[in-house]
Amino acid sequence: MQDEHYYKQLGFKCGLEIHQRLDTAEKLFCSCSPRLEEEPMLGNVERRQRAVAGELGKVDWATQFEGSKGRKFVYQVYRSTVCLVDIDEEPPHDLNNEALDIALKIAANLHAHVPDELEVMRKVVIDGSDPSAFQRTLLVGYDGYIEVNGKRISIPSIFLEEESSGIVSSDSEKVVYDVRRLGIPLIEIDTAPEISSPEEAKEAAQAIGLLLRLVGKVQRGIGTIRQDVNVSIAKGARVEIKGFQDLDTMPEIIESEIDRQLNLLKIRDSLQERKAEVGKPVDLTSILKSTAVRLIKNSVDAGGIVLGARLKGFKGLLGFEINKNRRLGTEISEYAKLAGIGGIIHSDEDLAHYGFSKEEIDQVAKALGVKENDAFILISGPREQCTLAMKFALERASRAIYEVPKETRAADTKNLVTKFLRPLPGGSRMYPETDIRPIAVDRKKFGEYEKGVVSIAKVRSELLKEIENPDLAEQMLWSPLLSLYNEIVGKTGVPGYVVAPILLEKLTELRRQGIDVDSIPNEAMLAVFEEYKANAVTKTGIEELLKHKPKSRADVQRLIRELGLERITGKRLEALLKEFEGKSKEEMLREIMSKYRLNVDGNELKALLSIKE
Amino acid sequence: MYSPEIEKLLAKQHIQVGDRIRITKGKEVFEGILMPRPELGDRSVFVIKLDNGYNIGIRYSPSVQVKKLSSHRASFEFPKLRVEKKPSLPSIALIATGGTIGSRVDYLTGGVYMLVKPEELLYEVPEIAEIANLRIENPMNIASEDMTYVEWQKIAKAVADAFKKGARGVVVTHGTDTMHYSSAALSFMLQNLPGPVVLTGAQRSSDRGSSDAFMNLVCSSILAAKSDIAEVGICMHATSSDNFCHFIRGTKARKMHTSRRDAFRPVNNLPIAKVSPEGSIEYLSPYAKPSGKELELKTGYEPRVALVKFYPNSDPDIVDYYVSKGYKGLIIEGTGLGHVAVKPSDDRLSWIPHIKHAVDSGLVVGVTSQCLYGRTNSNVYRNLRLLTQAGAIHCEDMLPEVALVKLGFLLGNYKKEEAEAMLSKNLVGEISARSEYDWFMV
Repeated sequence: MQDEHYYKQLGFKCGLEIHQRLDTAEKLFCSCSPRLEEEPMLGNVERRQRAVAGELGKVDWATQFEGSKGRKFVYQVYRSTVCLVDIDEEPPHDLNNEALDIALKIAANLHAHVPDELEVMRKVVIDGSDPSAFQRTLLVGYDGYIEVNGKRISIPSIFLEEESSGIVSSDSEKVVYDVRRLGIPLIEIDTAPEISSPEEAKEAAQAIGLLLRLVGKVQRGIGTIRQDVNVSIAKGARVEIKGFQDLDTMPEIIESEIDRQLNLLKIRDSLQERKAEVGKPVDLTSILKSTAVRLIKNSVDAGGIVLGARLKGFKGLLGFEINKNRRLGTEISEYAKLAGIGGIIHSDEDLAHYGFSKEEIDQVAKALGVKENDAFILISGPREQCTLAMKFALERASRAIYEVPKETRAADTKNLVTKFLRPLPGGSRMYPETDIRPIAVDRKKFGEYEKGVVSIAKVRSELLKEIENPDLAEQMLWSPLLSLYNEIVGKTGVPGYVVAPILLEKLTELRRQGIDVDSIPNEAMLAVFEEYKANAVTKTGIEELLKHKPKSRADVQRLIRELGLERITGKRLEALLKEFEGKSKEEMLREIMSKYRLNVDGNELKALLSIKE
Repeated sequence: MYSPEIEKLLAKQHIQVGDRIRITKGKEVFEGILMPRPELGDRSVFVIKLDNGYNIGIRYSPSVQVKKLSSHRASFEFPKLRVEKKPSLPSIALIATGGTIGSRVDYLTGGVYMLVKPEELLYEVPEIAEIANLRIENPMNIASEDMTYVEWQKIAKAVADAFKKGARGVVVTHGTDTMHYSSAALSFMLQNLPGPVVLTGAQRSSDRGSSDAFMNLVCSSILAAKSDIAEVGICMHATSSDNFCHFIRGTKARKMHTSRRDAFRPVNNLPIAKVSPEGSIEYLSPYAKPSGKELELKTGYEPRVALVKFYPNSDPDIVDYYVSKGYKGLIIEGTGLGHVAVKPSDDRLSWIPHIKHAVDSGLVVGVTSQCLYGRTNSNVYRNLRLLTQAGAIHCEDMLPEVALVKLGFLLGNYKKEEAEAMLSKNLVGEISARSEYDWFMV
């Protein structure tokens, strides 16, 4: 990691877009369940969408990469989580007030202003992920800020919007979407590009995450919060990085992105010096039709073609490493893959290794007019795909000569680099959602939310008081389970020092054993602690319940019976002692605890036997 | 329209909707494009589109200051598209009457306007140019719930004209709510058709890429251009998927869902054809073909006909009301096989004397069933026989709405006695002699 001065010198700019699902009883514009329950699919609906005419007829260079064009979209429909509103067969219902309340609370805690009246918008979506071809979204807050290590980072906008569908599969003919997710209320919090280092990006994301958990009812578990990072350096380009799995890898991935842009600028300078140019595609099928290169041979035998293109002045630069194990050639290949082909072959690679003969290489070079400082690329596949792939590849190659392209990239959390997803789309088109009335904000209520702003210092000291262990208390503060913790302690009255170790240590331990504890719904967690409070189960029993709940459909009380976890307490414990009469207290303790480990509370038994700890 | 205070403020600054403005309210400053006031909103709230594309509302207060920054920018213009006539393609006419189909949204304001020029419609649905040469007529621009028999007459004339001018088929775009009334009216008003008359519409507005309008228009054009059907019918989505449309006989179609794209269903009938947007037509049941006879346009209509629903506790005085208002005909939507109350505990609720009174006063009274599916009967129960004795005519398997339209048509074109005789006889496919097994819940 470098110091702040380094990033300043680079012209480093960074902002976050945090998306968090809200934990409401219903979806944002209908009464479907927003929980992704397991249930049998009712069926599929097949749809086609078309790009409706643009506003000013402007063609965005990103749109030519839109692979969904002409593809069929298949939407999977379920009973309790999908209704006609989700599949664009019924107008939206009124905005979910519970979601709006949570959003306004969050806005108040980010010191944001809210408009007098909220207007729901339709944001045009072209990838099919929304059956209506638009996403409903509204601006609920503006001009807010958050403090991160004493520094104020501006929050220019806060939005409340619908979650999109989840993608199930995709090929050249159709994309299949699971619609259950669609319409779950989502809050989006955008920071200004004021973040001054990769480490600060992580800290800001953590701070926003903490605030969301402290303030609102937010969903927990994988996929319920997403952090997108916008990064650029001077002379580089704005790149949006999606798909961070955890915040720990965020700084390193941003660091890689900086390196990538710096290296691409180096490549650009060399290419400009060499007066580089990108050639036109040439059909090389007849030259390579009997090649030993299996990749190409297979395509040609299947009726496909081979295209090549000269890249004037690119020699050595296609193989120039821009990130660990990633080269300019990799980037060009990723563009070509958008057309549905496997990849490209380029002349900075070991061509003999592919199986090319010397003659073949010479013939290809001749056909393409390749000179000493030049490079070339080859693509094979079905005619249409191959032609499109070559177009995409050459588009990327020519951009290398004059810029770092603006892109949406994916965080590769394994290799700690970013990977190309698609060109960064231009501004999204939005127009009013005429099916929903504008919503007047209740100023009085918002004023109360502003007064009730959460103090992190206060939450921290309260946790410490309840949990009685500074490490665990701090861990609880930053844990996604904090709201669940508060709910359990608040509703059941089980003390924090009992709840915290179970949520933080026990669940982690079970998760490591491969038990899907995150699938346990909040209600079931609450029920577990209610049973504990009612002396119906012991602390060891709780652990047993959590171990078995993910695989069981039974409710908690039934599960206690099924697993034989009923606590033996009070009179029943006294009765049990009689069975062991004549033995020493220590023997009784040992024997009873070994036989009834799950049912007897050790402390209660010791107290009964008047054994001091 | 905004509230008078806001309108005054805007007028003073010569600000119009679409202009870029700055609003200063207390310490806050907003810049953006002034939007039209949403119909359902509070009129004393300014709505502006911010640079990030979002609209927000700012409540008026006397201290608010407004300044114009720049004027309205050019709105969308359709690219110049030359529509060439292709001699190899058939000619069809498209009669646009209103509704969400064939309209375009202004993405800035959310406002909707009709596409009445072929180049505009073909820009949105270019496939049609490959199917037929298209001529567009726009005799009216009306929501379907506002339609009356006067519009049916106008549309019928426009269709007849289109055929006269050489169209081989006609597409009528129409709001969906009363489309099945219009399709019934056109079926009666246009007889001996030389080609198909295809009504179509959209359940989802065409501003969205997912609208059903596109496929409905394509399938309707295919039918108009290619099929040898010589009937009026409705062509809309057959399922919730964008796979194919059904063409349903105009007198046997009914809107059976408020919002789904496959809302139109045949009742007591099968669809005539299944049409895929790729161009294929599969015929599913018998239909009329061109007879070679001259097209008969009969637009007479008697609007003093009413549809009355019988239900438990319903007050039969409603019948007397229509009689007193000078109505010429009534269609009663009875229960089951076509019942009304005959011997209720409260004598006053028996419909028989009232119906007898109506018939005696010279009205034609028809009976249909609110079951929709199935046929009425005048013999099975004594109560039915009493109704027939009172002079009511059972309308076989005709839909209540179709019977209503038919009665208005008959009374507008024929003598009362003829109308009476024709009500329960099939004219254009509205009554089937047989009820086939698979005609239920199609």
